[in-house]
This record gives sequence, structure tokens and C-alpha cells, in this order.
Amino acid sequence: MQPSLPSHHPLLGPDTAILAAQQQSASASFFHNQRTNTAHQDANSNAVLAPASGAMPFTVAPPQAHAPFDAGALAFDAAITNAPPGAPNKHTTYPYVTGTSVLAIKYKDGIMMAADTLGAYGATKRYKSISRIVPAAPTTLVGAGGEISDFQYISKLLTELNDNDVIRDDGVVLKPREVFAYLQRVMYNRRNKFDPLWNSLVVGGVDQATGEAFLGTCSMIGVSYTDSHVATGFGNHLARPLFRNEQRDDMTEQEARALLEKALRVCYYRDKNSINKFVIGTVTKESGMKVSEPFSLSTEWGYDAFVHPTKHALGSW
Amino acid sequence: MSSVGAGYDLSSTTFSPDGRVFQVEYAQKAVDNSGTVLGLRVRDGVVLAIEKPVISKLAVPGANRRILSADRSVGMAGAGLAADCRMVVNRARGECQNYKHFYGSAMPTEVLAERIASYVHLFTLYWSVRPCGASTLVAGCDQSGGERTPQLYLVEPNGVVQRFYGTALGKARQSAKSEIEKLDLSSMSAKEAVKAAAKIIYQVHDESKDKQFELEMTWIAPETDYEHRRVPADMLAEAEAEAKAAIEAMDE
Amino acid sequence: MSTWSPYDMNGGTCVAVAGADYCIVAADTRLSTGFSILTREHTKVVTLSDACVLASAGFEGDRKQLHKVLGMRQQVFAHNHGGKPMSCPAMAQMLSNTLYFKRFFPYYTFNLLGGLDKSGKGAVYTYDAIGSYERTGYACQGSGQALIMPVLDNQLKSASPLLYPPVSSATPLTEAQAVDLVKDCFATAGERDIYTGDAVEIVVINRNGVRRETMPLKLD
Repeated sequence: MQPSLPSHHPLLGPDTAILAAQQQSASASFFHNQRTNTAHQDANSNAVLAPASGAMPFTVAPPQAHAPFDAGALAFDAAITNAPPGAPNKHTTYPYVTGTSVLAIKYKDGIMMAADTLGAYGATKRYKSISRIVPAAPTTLVGAGGEISDFQYISKLLTELNDNDVIRDDGVVLKPREVFAYLQRVMYNRRNKFDPLWNSLVVGGVDQATGEAFLGTCSMIGVSYTDSHVATGFGNHLARPLFRNEQRDDMTEQEARALLEKALRVCYYRDKNSINKFVIGTVTKESGMKVSEPFSLSTEWGYDAFVHPTKHALGSW
Repeated sequence: MSSVGAGYDLSSTTFSPDGRVFQVEYAQKAVDNSGTVLGLRVRDGVVLAIEKPVISKLAVPGANRRILSADRSVGMAGAGLAADCRMVVNRARGECQNYKHFYGSAMPTEVLAERIASYVHLFTLYWSVRPCGASTLVAGCDQSGGERTPQLYLVEPNGVVQRFYGTALGKARQSAKSEIEKLDLSSMSAKEAVKAAAKIIYQVHDESKDKQFELEMTWIAPETDYEHRRVPADMLAEAEAEAKAAIEAMDE
Repeated sequence: MSTWSPYDMNGGTCVAVAGADYCIVAADTRLSTGFSILTREHTKVVTLSDACVLASAGFEGDRKQLHKVLGMRQQVFAHNHGGKPMSCPAMAQMLSNTLYFKRFFPYYTFNLLGGLDKSGKGAVYTYDAIGSYERTGYACQGSGQALIMPVLDNQLKSASPLLYPPVSSATPLTEAQAVDLVKDCFATAGERDIYTGDAVEIVVINRNGVRRETMPLKLD
């Protein structure tokens, strides 16, 4: 937050002054204090980058292999928090509190996005009212599966971007595809640091100027694409086949909602890390952006296949 | 100023024998020469107004704004060197963003005003820099519980911060201040204050010195959802028309 | 979830063919991961300038980054050279440098650069992930490489790259014949390679500029 002064200046506070004093050599860099803050981390990520001899070229094993949420995981946490100074940084190797699929489709008026509100701690339904679909810009929604804390951090980044647009007051606001491009770079940069944000993101919205609907998704390592329908996690296997059959860009709001509810129901039946408490968000050119109050869907558990799951699969399981 | 020319006005790090720091006082002069700046804190909001001299017929109307936002609901009106004002506002933006990032809620206006004051004050302590040639009015509206508290602060080049119901800076500050004193600020609404502010700016404007000026005005009010916004164009035009009419009526 | 990899293999096949006065760069539009298709209409081809087209298969995150980086460098070059775009051989060298700069954390991309050289002849450059490259008359990269490369060797009637003294291996085929052959190659690869399909995007560079056409492939 020192926009207009060289950072080694005495005005910038005692810490910087000391840093500048220590750097007596003539090479005092303009961005010296920033570099100092990150030097430690950079040195360590270089250490991680250098492949151990005989390592597989395209896989990176974590320092220790752990099954999530067992006693060993707690010991692993202790290893992080009690690490001696100079020890290598430990990065995310698995998520703690997770959200499951996000589903989204284009329709006549814009886009519609759906997700449940669960934050699961392993197999425990730990948080039941988590917002996983949030406004990211005036006409853009972002939905997330994966690590909830990482997503809340991403939401904060987006809030700050927007606040800056509002403060500048020059009429420029982020469009959906700009939010998407930004998030792609954030996710890809973090994977480059071997410190990924453990999320699958869905970006949906409408370009206010053209009225064009936008839908895209990005994974934690930066694999991203746009399409008329997207779904993360389980949704990619369970919901997208339904979307491929039934989604059309010119479907009505009622049809779109019916399709999403159908897909949500299928996901809820088959995904044990989901709950029957959903929100649906919409972005349209006419009525802007809305995220619904949580609602639940009617369910029917009396299907023969549910009651006798092995009936037609004798001997397999 | 008895000691002028005695060499005590060359640095802000040396007091004069009678206990003054001349460089800081000169910075205040830069502020006093500025176009008139007005701040009114009223019942349900704050209004900031600036008399901005038109420097050229080729200048784009509405460009080069002097009232800026530091946060969604914090407005800052600067008097003095425009570049110094911008530097202070940039600092304030950083402070607000930092506070929000850390505490998850908007920075209280008083804390912000004090931080800005501390920042500006630093420029009076070192030989290697010159004092900040800008005073800023900081307008905010804090929320605690359901309560909204509109607030107005003045931060001066010497690092002093003061809280006001209403105040004025720049060329016509004296006459503007005596006009403000006539207003019943505690019962006035922000909407009414917009008209009052326009009227005062037109009233204290000195035709003989600056022919043309642009009235720049922002507010924090229930109408803006307590965010800092420019006064809408139609509302501003109406206030200006009323101000002109009132002055003509007075002249007759 | 005990291991995390910064890489994924998102599949895709690229083909490039150089002729006397044209160059064809083509790639399919399927994006996959594991046994899932992520999307069916995703371009792997970027037009860097009037004389240069790049197609890349492999890891989509790296592909996007690489294409952005090259696009930006091309733009900066043009700004610094009176609006004149980088030549195809220059771009080829720069792509090699860009890949090699990340020698120890490579872009997991398999690239083909096609365009016209300074004399207007078709040029194809083929790369590995860490920047070694060679100018050839035709090339194929990505998941369908092993299926398509022998067909090109057989059908293009190009001179062998083993000949000494060297003879240009640009194909004697006409542009229309070469485009047909490329289409056949993708239709063939799509039959056997699960990572190739949905559609093929064909970019033709000749003295009239850059032309882009697509042909649907099987969706299975």
C-alpha cells in the first residue's frame, strides 16, 4: 500500500527503514521490501520444483502420503505448525472442508447455476449453510466445489476487485469473461507455485453490453473451458449427460429450472457428500443477478434399485 | 511572520525560535489558495462540494475529479495541490482495503482519518521530503448495529485531524463557514444539504477572479444506500438552478 | 488423494502440412480428462499473425498460458517494429526458447507451428515439450500422432528427410488435395483414438491470408 513513494524511503515505516538500512549495498531495489517478504518462500518453492533424482517427470509426490482425516493427518498438521524455521513450506496436499458439484446451464435469458449448501469435513456433514454460489461482479456469479476456505479466499479477491471498480467510479465493471480470465490466471499461478487453490470453479454471467450469456469452468490446475453447460466433480459424470440430451440455449426459465432440479436430484441420490438443501442462482440481462433462498427437493427412495441395490449385479458387489 | 528570511523556513526539520515550522505553514497556504471546498454533515448523511475553476475551455467537463472515494462509503474531497491530494487518497484506499481484508468490515471513518493524519504528519518530520500541500475532508458513514452515523473529518498538512458538523477550505472558506453556521445541520436531510451546499458555493464564488467554475458534488445518504456517490446529474442541475435563482433574488 | 500433480493430459491431435505456397495447421476440438470429455468445441489453435499459426495438444492449463505468452510477445514485437509481425522462423525460435526456459518445470504441451517463411514457402516446425525443434515439411503431434504420422509419410509424396544432400520435404500436393488428406487423417484417428474427435479445425495460411474451416468428426 505504498503507491507513490520508493519503498526504501524512511516515511514508509520503521520496518522498511531498517530493511533499507541493512541493504547498504548500492543495489537497493525499488521493490526491495516486497522481494524480501517473498524471498524465503521462493527459495523453498524452488526446492520443491527441483525434481529428486529418479522422480517421475510429471508427478509430484507430497512429502508424506496420508489418507485424509486419519490420526496421521493430525500429526501432519502438527508438523506444519511446529515446523522449525527454514523448513520447507508445506502446501495443500488434500482439502479439509469441501463442497461438492456445481451445475450450470445457459438458457434463453442468461445462465442458471445450482449447488447444495454443504461444507463436508471428510464424510461428516460439518457445515450445512455454506454459500457456494456468490456474486463476483455486477452480472457474474461464481460457484465452487472443493476446499471451502480456498473459495472464501477467492471470493475475497473478487470482492476487492469490485470494490476497486466502484471506488474508481469510471463506469468500468468486470464482465463475466474477464472474471473468468482472471480466475484462470489465479488458479494457474497457484498451481505453478505448487500451492494450489483446491477448487473447481464455475463462472457464469451475462455481458451487459451485448446481452451475451457466458459460462466457463476452471480446475485447480488451470484446466478451463467454456460451454453451454458445465458441471464440476460428480456433476461432470452425473449431470452433464442429462445436459447433453436436454439443454438448449433457447430453453425457457421454467425448462431450465426443471432440468437443473432433475440434475440436482440425480446428484443428490448418488453423491453421498451432498445434502438436500440447494440454491439456484440466475443472471439475466433483464432482471440482473439473483441467488435464491435455500430450498429442498422432493425425493423418492422406494425405487426397487435403491431397495435391492445388488439385484441385477449378482456377484459383482 | 517575523522570522521570515531568517533561514528558518528552509526545512521542516527546524523550528524557528518562536516555535513555528514555516514549511508546514506554507503548505497550508497552498491549501488556502485552492478552489472552495465544502463539507456538511447532516441528520442522515454527508455532502461534499467543490468549486472547481475551469482552467481551459478545452478541458473536458467532469474530468479531473477532486472528490474521490477511498472506500465504498468513504468520500474524500481535497483542497490544495491536486497531485498531493491524489497521493493521500491512494494511501487512504490502501488503508481501507487493508482494514477490510484483515477485519472483514469497513474501516471506521475516525480510524481512517487518524491514519491519514499520521501519514500526512510524517511528511513534516524529515528533511528529505516536503510537507503535503493538501487538506482533505473525509466523509464517511459508519454502521454499528442498525445505526448509521454520518461523519466528517478534516485532515490538514500539519497532521492535525478534526471532526466537524460542517466546514470549508480554500479561497472563500471564511465566508463559506459563516454561511454554514446559519444552517440547522442537525435537522437537515442530505437531500436538503445538497441544495444548501450548491447555494453556498455559488454565493461565495468570486466572479471577479475566476469567471467559470464547475460544481462537483458527492453525497452519502439513504438515497445512495449510504455509499459515497456523485450527486445525480439531474439533482445537481436542479440544485445549481435553485442556487443561481436564489442569488439573483438576493441581488435584487 | 495422496498425490497431487500439477499436470493433466487433456488429449488432442495436431497436424501441419507445408506446400510450395501454403501451409495447413489443423487440430481437433475435443478436450478430455481421463475417460471424460470435458467439452467438444475447444480450440487448440491460435493465429499469432498473418504468417504464423500455432496448435498445441497436451495439458490445457499450460497450453492456454503458452498461447497467451506467445500472443503477447508477438504483439510487443510488432509494436517495436513498426507494426510488422514476427516472421515465422523467428516465432519458431522464440517458441523454442520459451519452452526451454521452463526446462525443469516444462509446459506439458506438444506444439506444431505452421506458416509461410520469408520467401512465401510453407513451413512447419515441430517441437517436443522442452523446446527442441526442427523445420519439416509436415508433422503430427498429440494423442493421435502414432495413428496419423505413418499415413502422412505414405501419402504426402514428400522427399525423405533422410536424403543427403537434403531436399525440401514440403509436399508437392495442391492445397485442396492436402486439405482433403488432413480431413481423412482426422477422421481415421477419430475412429481409434478416444482423445481425438468431435470436430477438426483446419487453418490454411497462404498469400491471401489465414482461412479457418471446421469439419465435424464422430462424437463417440
